[in-house]
Amino acid sequence: MLAGLDLRIEPGEKVLLAGASGSGKSTLLRAIAGLLQTTDVGELSGEVSVDGRHPQERAGTVGLLLQDPSAAVVADRVGRDVAFGLENTRTPPDLMPGLVAGALRAAGFPYDERRSTRTLSGGETQRLALAGALALRPQVLLLDEPTSMLDADNAARVRRSVLAACEQQGTTLVVVEHQIGPWVEHLDRCVVLDRSGAVIADGRPGEVLARLGESLAAEGIWVPDLPAPRPLSVDPVLVTPTLHVPVGEVLLAAERVGVTYGSPFGGSAGEPRNVALDDVSCVLHEGESVVLGGGSGAGKSTLLAALAGLQAPDRGAVHIHPRLAGRKGRVLHRLTSPELAARVAWVPQLPEHGLVTHTVLDELLVSARALGQPAAAAERRARALLEHLGLAALAGSSVHHLSGGEQRRLVVAAALVHGPAGLLLDEPTVGQDRNTWAAVTGLCLAARNAGAAVGVATHDAVATHALVSPGGRTLTLERGRLT
Amino acid sequence: MSRPSYGPLSLLAASLLPALGAPAIHSTRHGLVCVGVLLLVSLVVVRDWSSTVRRLGLVALAALSLGLSTWLYGGRDLDVAAGATLRVLYLVIPAAVLTPFIDPTRLGDHLAQRLHLPARPVVASTAALQRLEALGWQWQQIARARRARGVGADGGILHRARVTASMALSLMVSTMRMSGSMSLAMDARGFGAAHRRTFAEPAPWQRRDTAILLGGVAVAALPWLYLVVTA
Amino acid sequence: MSSSVESQPNRASGGRRTTVLASRPLLGYRTVDLVSAAMLGVAFGVVFWAWSLVYNAPAAALYAVFPPLTALLAGPWLLAGVVAGLLVRRPGAALLAEVVAAAVSALIGSQWGWTVLLSGALQGVGVEIALALFAWRRFGPFVAVLAGSLAAACEVVFYEWWQYVVDFSWAWKLAYLGAFVVSGAVVAGLGGLLLVRALAKTGAANAMPPGQEELERSAV
Repeated sequence: MLAGLDLRIEPGEKVLLAGASGSGKSTLLRAIAGLLQTTDVGELSGEVSVDGRHPQERAGTVGLLLQDPSAAVVADRVGRDVAFGLENTRTPPDLMPGLVAGALRAAGFPYDERRSTRTLSGGETQRLALAGALALRPQVLLLDEPTSMLDADNAARVRRSVLAACEQQGTTLVVVEHQIGPWVEHLDRCVVLDRSGAVIADGRPGEVLARLGESLAAEGIWVPDLPAPRPLSVDPVLVTPTLHVPVGEVLLAAERVGVTYGSPFGGSAGEPRNVALDDVSCVLHEGESVVLGGGSGAGKSTLLAALAGLQAPDRGAVHIHPRLAGRKGRVLHRLTSPELAARVAWVPQLPEHGLVTHTVLDELLVSARALGQPAAAAERRARALLEHLGLAALAGSSVHHLSGGEQRRLVVAAALVHGPAGLLLDEPTVGQDRNTWAAVTGLCLAARNAGAAVGVATHDAVATHALVSPGGRTLTLERGRLT
Repeated sequence: MSRPSYGPLSLLAASLLPALGAPAIHSTRHGLVCVGVLLLVSLVVVRDWSSTVRRLGLVALAALSLGLSTWLYGGRDLDVAAGATLRVLYLVIPAAVLTPFIDPTRLGDHLAQRLHLPARPVVASTAALQRLEALGWQWQQIARARRARGVGADGGILHRARVTASMALSLMVSTMRMSGSMSLAMDARGFGAAHRRTFAEPAPWQRRDTAILLGGVAVAALPWLYLVVTA
Repeated sequence: MSSSVESQPNRASGGRRTTVLASRPLLGYRTVDLVSAAMLGVAFGVVFWAWSLVYNAPAAALYAVFPPLTALLAGPWLLAGVVAGLLVRRPGAALLAEVVAAAVSALIGSQWGWTVLLSGALQGVGVEIALALFAWRRFGPFVAVLAGSLAAACEVVFYEWWQYVVDFSWAWKLAYLGAFVVSGAVVAGLGGLLLVRALAKTGAANAMPPGQEELERSAV
């Protein structure tokens, strides 16, 4: 992963670590934290020291924030969660309340210590994780893409909290992010790794980016001040719907849809039942793209799942065009699984959950097989799509061995390759690098131009712009209602 | 959140102890007496009746269906069937009444501090239980992805079993990835070396816990006492 | 050199597959061992819940044919312990996973409440006995089948005979035990082994001994 890397970071320095995916940035962060033994396997040589000592000699010397904020949650209430590190380092319990309150303040956490950790948004959970690290007075704080899953507002709040805490405590900061723009002005130094894990640039961020910005962008990094990438151009023949509705007619119609739910186990655990969607009506036309916007918890994903026939509404219904009715009629969630697959495709937020088979090529052929489509034609389309997406060499690989970006491109292609008339995607571009971003938006636009109705739930403003102009629409949800 | 006033260990013991008494129940009258006493005792403990009644309803349904099948296929003997129903009720009513008072985080605190179980496995377990809802949603996402791709779980039992197995593998993949990042986050906060650790909240054993525990012992003994007395 | 990842893990030879063992001491649990075992318990608690939604119709049909046959559908409930035992390869991992899975059932709202902890603990103990017989050095099909069978046997002999199928005649009780053991051996034992091997192939278990075995095999 990394070989013979030497790096010296001064106390209080704020460093941006950049490089292509696969250059070992995350491995380096785990090495600095002294945590390579936790989950990594392989040969390790060399040494890391913080202030002349092994980073784990005093627990919490190095704080770590990960991409998935919930990875750090260990307790049901905020106070207990922040106290976790203090408990591990055998802090006397009577000192804990003061230390916990101080850490929550330093992290800019908006609630008190009695709050349930289950009721927090992604951004709030990330600030809770920050408080958990700060409680141990870290000398170094390592950030492994902690804002990549957050919308712009929440990402900004987390960033402000991190920078303020580092300022206040003189903490050294090492940041890995795909979206480096918002960080650059706050950092002193930028270190760039190449694919072999060697340092190819090290200097002031402005200078390094001026020199290497273009090549970093080509590697997929969102370098500030560069224009958004152009959506990949995809041959529309590969993604043309096999079942047609007349040009411009309504493919999917949600009529006064209401959804309430509490727990994934059917609300039987006595939890309060929340309103996820309230009296929502909307339509998706043949050949148009619609972006569902709104803050986290507004009901975007639920509406998307209802439009995909995967969420049975408690009130109202989603109907499909009469020409595409199934054996049991037009009510979308009553269609059988193969009927649904032939009509409407859906891509979950995490690509890992969308993978249903083992090899890359199989993944693209599963639906075609389930629908009894001619095998040879399906495989031709699949291979052509893989070629477009730069995945042709991986056709025989295990889907689990792909990078996150490759998996993302694969699940979107797999949703389209059997020619559904509708395509619904949940946050398809969040946290993606420029190349995957271009591939995903390119696939969406190609499907739309070929006559599919495309619905995308997203808080990515750049993607929204690319998908709705020209000729698309935006719908905004707020607390389960369309505004 | 208001604190439950009993410790989780006594509640857990009182939920489990009836398992020692229930096997003694064989006749209708024996069962009626024991379950009757149990319901009277429950009147004292229960405060939130609406959810308790719902849980007792589930318990009654399960017990009745067991009784019905015992009657249908066990020689159509009403006394045996009623005995079976009442025995299961006796086993499960205490758990149904006490379950909502048992909070996993507090249970962990007490297991580690009061019973002195090794702290790291206990804390890892309570941390993992915080992920229950997240894994439930993941299961839903996995099921939805399969349905949307035309390979959902409609159909016969064998097909559904196969689909469930393949979904279980998908869930295990996400689970192991989550475990890896949780472990990193926990080790970064010193969990790796925390063989002995302190706890932010105490785990007191109160007089009322002793009372609940004795109640549990009494519930375990009651069916046997009945046998002795009526013999 | 201030730290080193174990590049030469413990091995046991014998059989065609090299067996990678957990690092010694056997009870020297890494955090990832503990968290994985507990998280697998939670994940299988979710799978058990899903299985319970499928279970009722076929169970009623089997009961109508011959009541002890319902035990043929019980195998999935023994998976958590077998999978965690074969994956983590340390004493206690199977027990931890089964108890956590049982706690999940209680929390989701099983009608049996926290009494399922007793079942979970007994099933976990069954798996531990099987792995202990081979001193945590063998994890092949034979051990997996034995683990599934013993989990089933412990559950039936120490619990179900006395709580659920009390009114069965002894002939029926033995038939019930037989059906439970068959299901445990096939579904939990072999099925669990297949799940662990499939998981290792995905790369998601690289921090665990079966994942390392897979890495070594694909490196050759």
